[in-house]
Amino acid sequence: MDTSGINELSILSEISRISNSTIGLAEKLRRVVEVVARGMGKEGASVFLIDRSGKTVTLAAAIGLHQETVGKLSFPLGMGIAGWVAEQKVPLALEDPFSDPRFAYVPESGIEKFKSLMAAPIMDEDQCLGVIFVLSTPVWRVTSSDITLLTTTANQLAGVIKNARMLQSIQDRLTELATIYKISLALTSTLDLEQILSLVARNSTQSLRAQGCTIRLMNLPEIPSRKTFSSYSVVGEAILVMDARIGSAVTEWVVREKRAILIPDVTKDSLLPDSAKLSAGSVIGAPLIFRDKVLGVITLYNIQQGQFFNEDDLQFLTTVASGAAVAVENAAMYERMEDLATEARTRAQELSILYDIGTAMSMTLNLDRLLRIILTAATMGGSGLGFNRALLFLTNERTNTLQGMMGVGPSNWEEAGRAWNEVLARHKSLMEWIQTGELFENKDSALNDLARGIRVPLDSNGGVMSLTVLNRKPYNITDAGSSPLVKKELRETLRVDNFATVPLVAKDRVIGVILVDNMFNRRPITDGDIRFLSLFAHQAALAIENSIIHSNLETMNKDIRALHEQLVQSEKMAALGAMIAEITHEIRNPLVSIGGFTRRLAKKLRDGEDKKYIDIILSEVSRLEGIIHDNLSYLKEASLQLSEADVNAIIEEILMLYEDELAQRRITIKRDLSPTLPRVMVDIQQIKQAVINIMKNAMEAMEKGGTLFFRTYFLPETHEAAIEMEDTGPGISAKVMHNIFNPYYSTKPRGTGLGLPITNRIIKAHKGKIEVRNKSTGGAVFTIKLPCPSQGGG
Amino acid sequence: MKKILVVDDEENIRQLYREEFEEMGFEVTTVPDGAQALVKMDAAKFDLVTLDMRMPDMDGIETLRKMKEKDSALPIIICTAYEEYKQDFASWISDAYIVKSSDMTLLRETVKKLLG
Repeated sequence: MDTSGINELSILSEISRISNSTIGLAEKLRRVVEVVARGMGKEGASVFLIDRSGKTVTLAAAIGLHQETVGKLSFPLGMGIAGWVAEQKVPLALEDPFSDPRFAYVPESGIEKFKSLMAAPIMDEDQCLGVIFVLSTPVWRVTSSDITLLTTTANQLAGVIKNARMLQSIQDRLTELATIYKISLALTSTLDLEQILSLVARNSTQSLRAQGCTIRLMNLPEIPSRKTFSSYSVVGEAILVMDARIGSAVTEWVVREKRAILIPDVTKDSLLPDSAKLSAGSVIGAPLIFRDKVLGVITLYNIQQGQFFNEDDLQFLTTVASGAAVAVENAAMYERMEDLATEARTRAQELSILYDIGTAMSMTLNLDRLLRIILTAATMGGSGLGFNRALLFLTNERTNTLQGMMGVGPSNWEEAGRAWNEVLARHKSLMEWIQTGELFENKDSALNDLARGIRVPLDSNGGVMSLTVLNRKPYNITDAGSSPLVKKELRETLRVDNFATVPLVAKDRVIGVILVDNMFNRRPITDGDIRFLSLFAHQAALAIENSIIHSNLETMNKDIRALHEQLVQSEKMAALGAMIAEITHEIRNPLVSIGGFTRRLAKKLRDGEDKKYIDIILSEVSRLEGIIHDNLSYLKEASLQLSEADVNAIIEEILMLYEDELAQRRITIKRDLSPTLPRVMVDIQQIKQAVINIMKNAMEAMEKGGTLFFRTYFLPETHEAAIEMEDTGPGISAKVMHNIFNPYYSTKPRGTGLGLPITNRIIKAHKGKIEVRNKSTGGAVFTIKLPCPSQGGG
Repeated sequence: MKKILVVDDEENIRQLYREEFEEMGFEVTTVPDGAQALVKMDAAKFDLVTLDMRMPDMDGIETLRKMKEKDSALPIIICTAYEEYKQDFASWISDAYIVKSSDMTLLRETVKKLLG
């Protein structure tokens, strides 16, 4: 019975149905082999397809064979029965294939259970697409109608494969378009560069079934904060295997040539160094070009054999790359704008803070209060600079040092926490702190004491503090522990690793330094912080300078007022003096009469009661005449008759003059007169008078005798000659000490009280000094210091 | 007997000096001002003059100059309560300058020396 006609029809109609179904090619082929085997009444059937390269045939579907080999079992063209049929493009029937020399036995396939086979090429006009097999377990004698049936089936199958492939191609194209659309949609929806790069890399990898992707961006000025090549990668095994060896070579080529590159097989490419040593793989790279400028390179890697990249992939990647280039440019521009906006915002905020601080500073001219405002502004969060601690130093030009003036900030963690909570709770501005006066309370913090204890010499060895002054620039110390700029003392005082110093420059003069740190919250001090701090310091310096000038003006004003009062006082004194002089003279004449006549009377009287009265009158007259003499001497303007003199000689002369009186009073004289004492320019008579007055004072103090010690010596620091007179009297009481050089103040029952004031006046007229002190052992010491003419002055 | 002319506006001083000098053995003439002193000088020859400085009308310095014009050899002692006249160059043509004191010792010794 000939059933072949019926079978043929049923097979072909089945295949036609399968062809029109919507399932994928692999499933279609699987069903086709099933239909063919069943329709021809055999146990097995299979389909091999020639791959794109046209060089191998691979098992695409099978029935009766091990399914694991589907997709893996392949032969080069011309090898095995499948390879032979594909090459010869003719059908072949073998009753015993195992004995045929063309047969290549692959044990994994499970072919050994079949005895006979028939194969036909799947032809699309002249091109062979693959081979279809029918396998039989019993020995099969193939008839010509069998061959016709299989050939017809193969022809039908060619249509199925062609249609499926076309569909696949259209679907692939659609997928690519969808991908491109998806990417372009995404690219316009975000301006975050990292996100864009990630999106491009991920989608390209998926679309081209690659195993890795890198995107490298050039370091163009339009793209801030990018290094020479910053890369974004979808990490895959391909990158691990290939990128390190060929990634940069491909990138360099693409950047140089400004066009895309396809390397189907890296092992066979002359572009790459040592290509033969590379493991097999495929690479495509495309430039990200915007306005003729290469912004970067996208590279895709494939290491799966049989799926190497082709021209279509390259086309796709080029399209993606040009879209990505626009997105990268947009993102970069946005990033630049963002940076500019942030910068502008920061500047505006800083300006507002500086303005507030400036206003606050202008509220006082008191230096102490001003320094407190400055340091509080430096340490306040929100409306201030927000450092944890701030210390202020002012330069002292006289001692050439930097002196700690004030410190503001918590002393320990506990205090820091409390202070911050308080500030947060009250939420006060600097201005409110000042206006309520709270700012100026509680001055005695530990940090303030610490600050005031710091004094640094202003020389190049003085470390970072003096360098800040000398070099007029800020310093940001990030490793105080190891920095050679930080002296041990400062390190141990501050106990922080990161601190910064800025100079206080006012009118081209460095008047001090501000030091800040973040001891408690450990926030690193940034370049931005330093810049802002410098602006702030500039403003602070001007305010401090103003305050100091104001204070100097005040002092000067006070001095002028004092001077004026002195002048008024001395004018009054002068008038009083003139009056006293007048009266004194008027008294002198009557006294001469009284005294003169009394003396005459005394001569006429013998000794007795009356004589006693006469003596009283005479002694009182003498005393009055003494007062008048001293008074007039004091009042008389001291006009100096300067001449070069030897102080030691003056003393010796005086001691000779008073030799008798001193002996009478049982006063011993001791001398320690410096033989090298320089000569002085003095009015010898007046200096003699000055010394005599002190000596008389000492003589009167030592009623029962004693020792008077004369000492002379030179004071090199002040360039003065000193005369010291030390007695062994009772010393001088505090009350008297206070008034000792005041005229008309005398404790003596007799005497004018003008001796020491005259001495004082004489020494002052010589621009010298006079000092008095009590010795701990009793007795007083008077010291006269007279300026010596500078050497070379004759 | 040598003659001394005492010129002083204070009567008590004139009296005191008169008694002192007469005791020393001199003939004493006293006048209260410079003008009268110059008149006395025209009338008689004196061996010494004591001259006060501060006087009404003609002061001591002017009187001194006029006396020295009349007789440059006449010894004149300035006797005054003031020390300031010492600084006036004009006073330097006198033969002595004595600040008045109730103690006559210095005056007496100076007179003795000048008339010695």
